[in-house]
Amino acid sequence: MGPSFRVFSGNIALRHMSILSNQLIPRSAPAVLLYLALGAVAAFAAVDHLVSRFHANVQSRGRRLYAQGVADLNGGNLEAAVEDFRAALTCDPANPQYQLSLGRALRDTGHLDEAESYLLALWQRTPEDGTINLALGRVAARRGSVDDAIRYYHNAMYGIWSSDPDGSRRKARLELIDFLLQKDSLAQAQSEILALAALLPPDPTLHFEAAQLFSRAQDYADALYQYEQVLRLDRANIAAMAAAGDTAYHLGHYRTAQRYLQEAARLNPQDSHSRQLLPQANLILDSDPFVRRISDAERNRRIVAAFRGAGQRLTACAQSKGLNLSASPDMDPVLSGLEARWSDMKKQLPRLHSSIEADLPDTIMDLVFQIEQQTASDCGSPQGMDQALLLISRDREAADQ
Amino acid sequence: MSDLSTPNSTAQLDTGSSIAARAFSKLERFFGEERFFLVLSVFIGIYAGLAVVCFRLAIDWTHLALLGPVPRAHSWRLLAAPSIAGLVIAVLVIHYFPTIRGSGVNQTKAALYIFNGYIPFRTAIGKFICAALAIGTGHSLGPEDPSLQIGASLASALGHQLQLSRQKLRLIAPVGAAAGLAAAFNAPISAVLFVIEEVIGRWSAGILGSVVLSAVSSVVIVRGFLGSEPLFRIPVTTFKRPAELIAYIVLGIVGGLAAVVFAKGIGWLRPILKALPRWTQYLQPGLAGLLIGFIGYLGFPQVMSAGYNFMDQAMHGQYSWRLLAALAALKILATTLSFVSGTPGGMFAPTLFIGAMLGGAVGGIEHIFFPHLTGSTGTYVLVGMGVLFAGFLRAPLTSVFMVLEVSGNYEIIVPVIVANTFAYVVSRSLQPTAIFDLLTRQDGLILPSLEEEREESILRVEDAMLPPPAVILNSADYIDAAAQRAQASSQAIFPVRMQTTGWSTISRDLLERLMKEGKGEHTLGSLISHHPLPFLYPDLPLESALRYVNHVPLVPVVNRADSRRLEGLITRDSVFSRYQSRQSA
Repeated sequence: MGPSFRVFSGNIALRHMSILSNQLIPRSAPAVLLYLALGAVAAFAAVDHLVSRFHANVQSRGRRLYAQGVADLNGGNLEAAVEDFRAALTCDPANPQYQLSLGRALRDTGHLDEAESYLLALWQRTPEDGTINLALGRVAARRGSVDDAIRYYHNAMYGIWSSDPDGSRRKARLELIDFLLQKDSLAQAQSEILALAALLPPDPTLHFEAAQLFSRAQDYADALYQYEQVLRLDRANIAAMAAAGDTAYHLGHYRTAQRYLQEAARLNPQDSHSRQLLPQANLILDSDPFVRRISDAERNRRIVAAFRGAGQRLTACAQSKGLNLSASPDMDPVLSGLEARWSDMKKQLPRLHSSIEADLPDTIMDLVFQIEQQTASDCGSPQGMDQALLLISRDREAADQ
Repeated sequence: MSDLSTPNSTAQLDTGSSIAARAFSKLERFFGEERFFLVLSVFIGIYAGLAVVCFRLAIDWTHLALLGPVPRAHSWRLLAAPSIAGLVIAVLVIHYFPTIRGSGVNQTKAALYIFNGYIPFRTAIGKFICAALAIGTGHSLGPEDPSLQIGASLASALGHQLQLSRQKLRLIAPVGAAAGLAAAFNAPISAVLFVIEEVIGRWSAGILGSVVLSAVSSVVIVRGFLGSEPLFRIPVTTFKRPAELIAYIVLGIVGGLAAVVFAKGIGWLRPILKALPRWTQYLQPGLAGLLIGFIGYLGFPQVMSAGYNFMDQAMHGQYSWRLLAALAALKILATTLSFVSGTPGGMFAPTLFIGAMLGGAVGGIEHIFFPHLTGSTGTYVLVGMGVLFAGFLRAPLTSVFMVLEVSGNYEIIVPVIVANTFAYVVSRSLQPTAIFDLLTRQDGLILPSLEEEREESILRVEDAMLPPPAVILNSADYIDAAAQRAQASSQAIFPVRMQTTGWSTISRDLLERLMKEGKGEHTLGSLISHHPLPFLYPDLPLESALRYVNHVPLVPVVNRADSRRLEGLITRDSVFSRYQSRQSA
């Protein structure tokens, strides 16, 4: 039988005791509380030991489950990975690595709300963590939320990374750019690419990637610049050479395009795109009467050739539509009008060599361009010389604007 | 040793021991019973907290060992674990721990009101083992109510060992109960309110301090060992437009109806199973376990055990409204089976689970018809928890604070209050007796209920008092003047307002006798008794008048702002006739 106490008159007095001697028995409230405190300390130590053992055991089980989850994830079995990570988290609920992995796996399986809640819980604890911000950015991207994605990706770019900070930040920016391009936010994408390009180390692969992004963002001038950076670092980079030629061609820099395309075709004879584009660039350069450093005679020759080509294109287009423009001008007044103007202009061609008619070359080429644009609209994309004239006309318009 | 025997050292020792003795004596005087009880409450909280930590570890360990970290459908374990555990539990309950059936809330309340606060320590041991086994193997029960009973049992055992006074012994079980519940739910405010609403059954300021101290100390212990992570990852909860309250009212009504179905199911099935032959009681928990395991096996393992992690997933939009509705219905079935079979375990967690799933389902359906509703799934799930708590456990105050404490978000207080009120009203009107009172009455006990007390109208002094008499005398009045006024009145006794404060009375007979004795020029104050009469205030309970009406012919009822202003009179007849009229009504 244990000791027993009675409370009265403000004291707790001993009433009965059979094991311990009277000398050792607490007789008062302070002594009882002291005994309770000692008991609590002992119980505390025992429970602490128990909890530590339990947690060690459970955490070990959690690690096994987590490893299984990672294996499932690597094997592409996302649903199983979610279950494993969830089970691992049951074993060790406060483990941030498990939470992050579960959050990512949930995101990848489309459970965005739950993924976000796990990631936000982590974010609230370490808002500066780059990995967590990147994961949240990806959730926002999957949701299609541009503002949230930009916020979290930017947090990731300026956040703390435990390993390879520069590479991780670059990767985060690249993902953001990719997302913005998918959302057709071209202006925001361009500014991100500019920021990315400004910080690139002298690595041809990275510059090549930046150039491709500029191309996707329809910023061909910066794309060309980046390709040229690549070629400065790696002269034999065939892909950059071909891409630079292609980009220069899109920019209307046909001389530059010709140079790169020639080199690309020489270095890689299997590069059919460059081989296909090169004659077109050559044709444009050979047909354009407005290029500098050609003689007047050569310019006039090109104008006459363009004029004749346009006339043939007009006739062919009308025939393909079953029209006789001279016989029945009302059938297609636009084409008939162009045909009439072409016929009038034909009479003025001999005066092209006269220095008095200074505006005549421009007048003739204006008509040529109108014919090429109208026939392209009515009869489909042209080939060869007509395509070259059409591209020259567009470049001229762009330059005028 | 030789030094110690010198006279100087002996004197020093004497001085030292006398100082210690004086200090000890002062300390003893400091600890009156009240202060001792308060400090004891802290220790009860610590011990209860430690016990609950062990209890939770036992549940987790059992769950991990027998069901695995996350139970998966179509696993044979789901069938085997709860059914075999049920058979073991039945043997333990019938042969070793017959007092541990059910949740533990009623038993703690019964201990308070019937057994002078005594709960055998064996109850704590039995509850710990059997509830951990039941919950850990997937019976649809929660750990909160058993924790409450374990805490109460520990406290009661401690109180008895210390041979506290009977009054304190009665109070100590609720103190332990609050500690146990607070530790289990990691929510001290809700625990305190629940113990007051459901265990003590009446508001008592005397015990509040001890209950709060024990609850807080136990929560500190649990958080120290198991971390302060909330039970759920609380989602973004929003309430923007007051018009959306209609959506929550619908949730409250549906929740109230679900609570009635749940309560009626238990109330109907429990006596039937109890009335079956004794040998069937060996099989009932096992069969219940098998059926619940079968539900899990078929693809709904979420209904097994307490299910907090699944509530968490529901809160984050993991389930469709159809699945949520199915889980709510199946949980009602599973919990009813577990509970009526006599398996020890709590109703707290299952109630929250059903409410959460129901809330999510109702929110999901409402979003289909009204896509512009701004409340997230998480908001509906949280409000749903409170709704079922208010409707089923009928603890409206606790239900509101529980949601607020769990969510840490006061933005949803209005939807919570509105929905809970509707759930409570619907449940109260369709099921007049609350579930815990129903269970107690099925066991043949009648215990006080705060719910009934709330609705009981109390008679007050003003309900029985007579209007002030026409003649009120003053102690400064002369006897002859007073006698003249008395002659004009039909009163037999006259109240006398004393000079500075207080009241007295004088009878007509005494006035006449004083006149005959030629004392007409004396003042009333100089002749009548100076022992002041007791007086009452109009708002006091009528029972407070019973103390006086037998000793004095009339008791003045005075104004609280001015005790010389008479509001009325109370007599024995007026009190009894008021009680009689109420009785006949």
